[in-house]
Amino acid sequence: MTAVTAAPARPRAPRAASAVPLATARLLRIELRRNAMPWILPLIAALFWFDSYRPSTGQPPLYLLRTFWNMGQGHTIIDFGPFVAGVAAWMGSRDGRRRTRDLVTAAPRARYAAQLATWAATAIWAVGAYLVFVGVLFAVYAHQGVAGEPPWWWVAVGATAVAAFSAAGFAVGALFASRFAAPLAAFGGFFAMVESSQTGFRDTGGWALILPTNSNGNFQPDSGIFYRYLPDLPIARLMFLAGIAVAALGLLGLPAWAGGPRLRRAAAVVTVAGVAATGTAVGLASTARLGPHGIVIPALHDAASDQPIRYTPVCGRAAGVPVCLNPAYQRYLADVTAALAPALREVSGLPGAPVRVSQVGALYESSSGVGSQAMTIAGHPPVLSLPLGAAVVTLPGPDGHRGQRGAAQAFDQSLVLLFAHAFAGAGNGAGTPAQQAVQAALMQGMGVPIADQPAVLSLGPSSWAPATNATSGPVYGAARRLTALGPAARRAWLTAHLTTLRSGQLTLGQLP
Amino acid sequence: MNVEISDLTRRFGRTQAVAGVSLETGPGVFGLLGPNGAGKTSLLRMMATVLPPTSGRLRLLGRDPGSFGPRREIRRRLGYLPQSLGYYPGFTVAEFVEYFALLKEMRPGQVPRAVAATLEQVGLGDKARAKLRTLSGGMLRRVGIAQAIVNQPELLLLDEPTAGLDPEQRVAFRALLRDLGQRATVLVSTHLVEDVGAACTEVALMERGKIVFHGTPAELTARGEDSAAAGDAPLERGYSAVLAAARSAAPAPAPAPGSGPAVAKAPPA
Repeated sequence: MTAVTAAPARPRAPRAASAVPLATARLLRIELRRNAMPWILPLIAALFWFDSYRPSTGQPPLYLLRTFWNMGQGHTIIDFGPFVAGVAAWMGSRDGRRRTRDLVTAAPRARYAAQLATWAATAIWAVGAYLVFVGVLFAVYAHQGVAGEPPWWWVAVGATAVAAFSAAGFAVGALFASRFAAPLAAFGGFFAMVESSQTGFRDTGGWALILPTNSNGNFQPDSGIFYRYLPDLPIARLMFLAGIAVAALGLLGLPAWAGGPRLRRAAAVVTVAGVAATGTAVGLASTARLGPHGIVIPALHDAASDQPIRYTPVCGRAAGVPVCLNPAYQRYLADVTAALAPALREVSGLPGAPVRVSQVGALYESSSGVGSQAMTIAGHPPVLSLPLGAAVVTLPGPDGHRGQRGAAQAFDQSLVLLFAHAFAGAGNGAGTPAQQAVQAALMQGMGVPIADQPAVLSLGPSSWAPATNATSGPVYGAARRLTALGPAARRAWLTAHLTTLRSGQLTLGQLP
Repeated sequence: MNVEISDLTRRFGRTQAVAGVSLETGPGVFGLLGPNGAGKTSLLRMMATVLPPTSGRLRLLGRDPGSFGPRREIRRRLGYLPQSLGYYPGFTVAEFVEYFALLKEMRPGQVPRAVAATLEQVGLGDKARAKLRTLSGGMLRRVGIAQAIVNQPELLLLDEPTAGLDPEQRVAFRALLRDLGQRATVLVSTHLVEDVGAACTEVALMERGKIVFHGTPAELTARGEDSAAAGDAPLERGYSAVLAAARSAAPAPAPAPGSGPAVAKAPPA
């Protein structure tokens, strides 16, 4: 140590206003460099890889399907949340664990401000890592040719959830400073995620929709392809999570050691505002209803969100009939034309036979659930409207449940079933017995033997599935008689009776 | 007077740590001596504005630390080294001192130069980039001194500053104290009598929460000249003589049954 030159006590200049942000930036820089969060990121990265990325790769290459498995079900948040809460609690308890409270308290800058700088650095690391991980995920998806639009709103929800976990964990650490704060906060975060997931499975509506792991949301059959991911529920969840974060940070400013009376009053206001935002979000979620494009919250809904996404279709031909798909499904064009060709050939020349096949967005049917949507044939000249969205048909390619061959066969049979069902005019339900019999005969002609049809029917909506796998009832008996007529006689009969059949007025006894 | 204390008390539950201390001092180095548990640390913590007094009057640098605005002004002019220095092991020496310089609301533009100069003062210039976890106890103590003086405080409170320092460092530190004392009020709490003799212009001796002696080191030395008090050095004999006299005048009260460890109240903001 060396002696300093003595200098007289000097008057201190008041702080310049511009010095405050600069000082805060310098504090933040130190905190960023010495934060504990980077140490846990490799573990989170490994978890993210195995829990969020890998399971999604078994899904068809559409953003909505891939991201449903990680963002829709909240896995990306589960991967981050408990660890972020634990590390944030570790950082929040730092002054208590390291016995620096007196030092920090004896400084003129409010201890609350110092704590906010520590939290901000923790949150920047955590949220930044979340965004980088998701960015890498999307980059890998893009490299793999995944089509559709990424669910940006859900990325924002995830990032805000990570921030909320960091704030809540930090508050636990700061208010209950001990070496046990971190494991307790991490376990608490994990428990919250488990409870949130279980509640999400149990409660598919009402306030439970606000929980970030509740998958009953906006990942509808063609979200991000034909229509947008509705922002209503994400906005409510952003409010909910941001409210938690704000309330937790406000709590830090309430104790006597946090700062001056004005600052503590402001912290109280911030806490109340956070609680109010959280409560409002829960209230909004309880008014939600499931619409065809996703969750609609009337107070937040903007009609502009319902506008379809414009696109230029990609087209091919099946049995000479143009088949046009959304470009997101371009990779399935060959499969679709191959699957529809025998069906289109079978009905070629019959009344109502489609002269064009055009893909339409698959919609959620609130009355009967996902996957109930049938093909329709309508218009003059007739056009087959073909929904291909998730849960309407099993897209070709491995999907995590089936291999390549099994999925391709299921896809072909699904399209034949949906086509024959539409051609018989059976609508969304199972159809009349006569329509079912004609449908069975058409499917036989399209290459699906009657003996296989009960299993194929189970690929369609649940209301179409037969009670048993038997093919001995009157419906199949009538179908066999129609098949036995021979192609020319069958076409003649169909030409004569299709209109009556589609109107539902034909009985089973009127079939040949 | 930079420090004006009148009948200051502080209780922790049933334990009276500071029992009616009155003290006034201006610029210079003031030594606060006393055995363990005498109340020195509690007195310094109250002067550091982290522990509110139970009763009494305290004015620092002409301001009342009981009010938020004046307390903040005091803190901007304050340097404090606690007895048990907490630190962040992952910080470098320079980062730790810079961190507290920023908390002391120094102008950000002045901070890097002030940090570098302070580290040179405490002999840690070559350790600026070393992580705190790699430092010895003596070096950590010097880091603590550095954070206390980085803002060139007008009131510097040092609680056991030489604990862990080797003899060479202690000599250098005393020189530093003398220089600091020329422009600021420096209160040094210690139980090492030789530190007081070498660096302090005034000294007070605390025993059981009270000040039992207040004078110059020479006056304290004189108290031991005609007594048979223990001690290798004259100042130590004076210290022992004063303590012995205080203890014989006021025998220690029996501890209250069930009186547990001291529990500090929340410090003021």
